[in-house]
Order: sequence, then C-alpha cells, then structure tokens
Amino acid sequence: MEIYVDAGTTWTKILKVENEEKKYEVIPTSTLKKLDIKPNRATGHSIIKTDNYENEVVALANGARKYLEDDFIVLDLGSRDIKWVKYQNKKFQDMDWNSSCASATGATVEMLLKFYNVNLDDLVFTKEKYAITCGIFGLEKIMDDVSGGMEPKIAISKFIHGIAYNAFAFTKNPEKLCISGGFCENKCFIKCLEQYCKVVPLGRFVLVDGLKSIV
Amino acid sequence: MNKDIIAFWGYPEKELINKTKIEYPNAKWVDLDIDFGAVDLKILPENYCVIIKNIYNNAMNLKDRIIKILAPIGKDKCDSAYFASEILKKSGFKVIQSVFEDVCPDIEKINIPISKSSLPLKEKIELITKNIVEQKDYSYLKSVKPQFGFWGVPPNDLSILELFPRETEVFGWCRAVEAGYPGDFQLESYVDADIPTVFFVQAFCSKSQLAKYLANKYEGLFIDVDGCSNASVRAKIEAFIKLR
Repeated sequence: MEIYVDAGTTWTKILKVENEEKKYEVIPTSTLKKLDIKPNRATGHSIIKTDNYENEVVALANGARKYLEDDFIVLDLGSRDIKWVKYQNKKFQDMDWNSSCASATGATVEMLLKFYNVNLDDLVFTKEKYAITCGIFGLEKIMDDVSGGMEPKIAISKFIHGIAYNAFAFTKNPEKLCISGGFCENKCFIKCLEQYCKVVPLGRFVLVDGLKSIV
Repeated sequence: MNKDIIAFWGYPEKELINKTKIEYPNAKWVDLDIDFGAVDLKILPENYCVIIKNIYNNAMNLKDRIIKILAPIGKDKCDSAYFASEILKKSGFKVIQSVFEDVCPDIEKINIPISKSSLPLKEKIELITKNIVEQKDYSYLKSVKPQFGFWGVPPNDLSILELFPRETEVFGWCRAVEAGYPGDFQLESYVDADIPTVFFVQAFCSKSQLAKYLANKYEGLFIDVDGCSNASVRAKIEAFIKLR
C-alpha cells in the first residue's frame, strides 16, 4: 500500500492507495505520532523532514495541476500559514508563502467557533469585514464587538470576510482563484471570496494528491 | 589594549584600501557588515536594517582594537551608512568616509570569474566580499552554464545560499563589487532575463525598491529577510528552485 501524508498544524490529511483504489482520511495531527505510519512521501509543517519529505508549495502545485490545465492560481489556506502558486501556459510563474502575517488564521477560526459555541454552518455572509492582518489582531476586534452586543456568529463571519479579502489581496487580485485546504468546507469563506473573484474549491486533499503525482 | 584592526563596511575605494594597507601592513581587516555574533547593543530601532545593526554592534564590540573605520557612504552603500559614519565619529571612532561611485564603461566586458564560477553560491559570495581587501586574481576559475540567478547583497544569514545549486550566477551588488563598480546602478540592475532569479534584500533596506521592481520585471522571486531566515523563506526558495 502506498501512503501519502500532509501533516498540517491542526489536521493531517492522508491518502492511501491500494490496488489503484484511493482512500482519503483526515485525522488530528496530535494523533499522528501515535500511528505507526511510514509514508512513501510526506509534506506539511508537522512532519519531520526526512528523505521522503516534499516542499509544501511543490506538493500544492503538483496536486493542483491535476485539476487545471494552465493559467491558474491555487491558494492553500491552512491553520497556520497561507501559500499560493501561479502557473501560466503550463509553466510556473509566481508564488508566495506567508507564515507570519497570515499566521494562525485557520486555527483562530476553529478556536473562535469553540470559544463562542458557534457551528460552522451558522456563519453567514456579511458585507462588512474586519481589516485583519493576522489571527491575533482579529481576535481583539471580535472580542470588542461581541462585548458591545454583536452576535458572535456575525463577528466571526466578519473575521472570515477579512481572511477572504486578505487571500484575494495576497494572491495579487486574480480573476479566478482555486482554493485548497479546510476553508473549502467553509461556505461563509467561499461566499465572501466570491465577492472579489471566481472561486474554485479543490478540497482538502490537493497536497496529498500532489505528493502521489510526483515521480 | 593595542589597536590592531582596520574596520570597514561595503566596498571602500581601492586607493583608500591600498593606502591603508601600506600604512598598517600588520593590521587585521574586519568587515563590520558581517554578523559575528556580537551582542546586540540595541543602539538602533528594532525595525532597522540588520546590516547596519551589525556595523554598530561590531564596532562597539571591537572599539578598543579599531585603528580606524573605512566607511563607504555613497551610492555604493546607502544613506544609513552615511548616518552611521557620522554617529560613529561622534562616538569616538576615527572614521574615513569613502565614496566609490565609478561608472562601469561596458557592463558586457566586466571581469567576474567568481560570480560565474561553479563554486557553491555561499563560497562565491564569501570570496567576493573577502576579495574587497585581498584583491586576488580568480580568473583561473572555470565558468559554469547558469541555471539560476541570485541577485542582491551578501545576506546576514548566509545559510540561505546553501539552498541554491552550484550553477547559480551572482547578480546585483555582489556582482558589481566583484567587477569593481559597487555604485554603478546599471550594473547592479543587470540580470540575465533567461535565468530564473531570486532577488534578495535585507528587510528595511532601500534596495527593496529595486529588488521588487526587478523581480516583477523578470518574473523572479522577491525575498526579504530580517536577520535570520525562517522556515517559510527557505521553503519559498526551495519551491522556486524546484518549480522553475
């Protein structure tokens, strides 16, 4: 059996391939070490860099290439960092990777939902957004608004709109943006991003698919 | 303590270097730009170019041993270095200001064997800066067909240079230094459009303007690093090299 692992800060995505049948799993990264997994290839912030380690942007580019022939930008928005890669005419053209100024955006959303006991599906699109630069600055504004009487789900939605706008700006204002990562399952985020550009969600397993496609 | 060090930064005028070598034949030469691990004395604001911080920290750390400082302050260095030279004077150092703005007559006919050699990139950059004082002839080095380009100044964190293959050609200020024209804007701006190039600057350096402009123009990778590189910066360079 072939095993490909994308060990993110919060969640680990696994692709198992046996007899050409693919099986995808998501497990908490905290449980990864307890499993005796020896991946054929691995990537992600939480994996030890060994010989079979692959750079995250390289995995992202390879995974997204499968979906899109050319002229695309794909953005991976994770718990801890944000990264994107652009291809044009089937050739690599541009990229960026930010682990500081976009820090903890995904993780902050998860924490906020738990803290305010809000379900992901309760989040609604709001035209207003927080001008946020990172999760920490966002928290401060949410807490101020909630203490001023705003419903937590509205405040979190404004925070998510801020993340969506930042994602658009970080990728240099594209007409079309493919999204990889857990935010694909966040309808509020997708709706917010659609205010700025056409959005193509690719799901959470782009990087593990990319790992498999690397020869 | 006996004073035994000629300190400098950037690329002082050749005549000044040669005159000083004759005047102090036994002196040890120290490039204050380099991070030797001196204690950060917090002389400068937190958000400031780390190379200028190195200059102050190294100078203060070696104050008892420094005979004089050769201090480039022209277009070959930067405004920050001019202020540093004046402030270090006021702090009791003997400072000789230098302006090295000679214009290269033909950037196609420069002698840059180190920049074009097959040496590992880190060795290339170290050799170019070392040769500011040593002035040895490296024309025997064999050139290699470049696959990548590195544009910029010597990074404070030289370890990022280890990410590049040997087939990396040197551009920017380092190339201009090897050619002997550290203040020539045309030479500093030159890159080979056919080579994928990483445009490196230290954070808070005014060369960021040029690096960003050139990175956009030549579809290269713009990297700015404050102090030491983090995993994100290293991963960006790795990905750029693999994907291009």
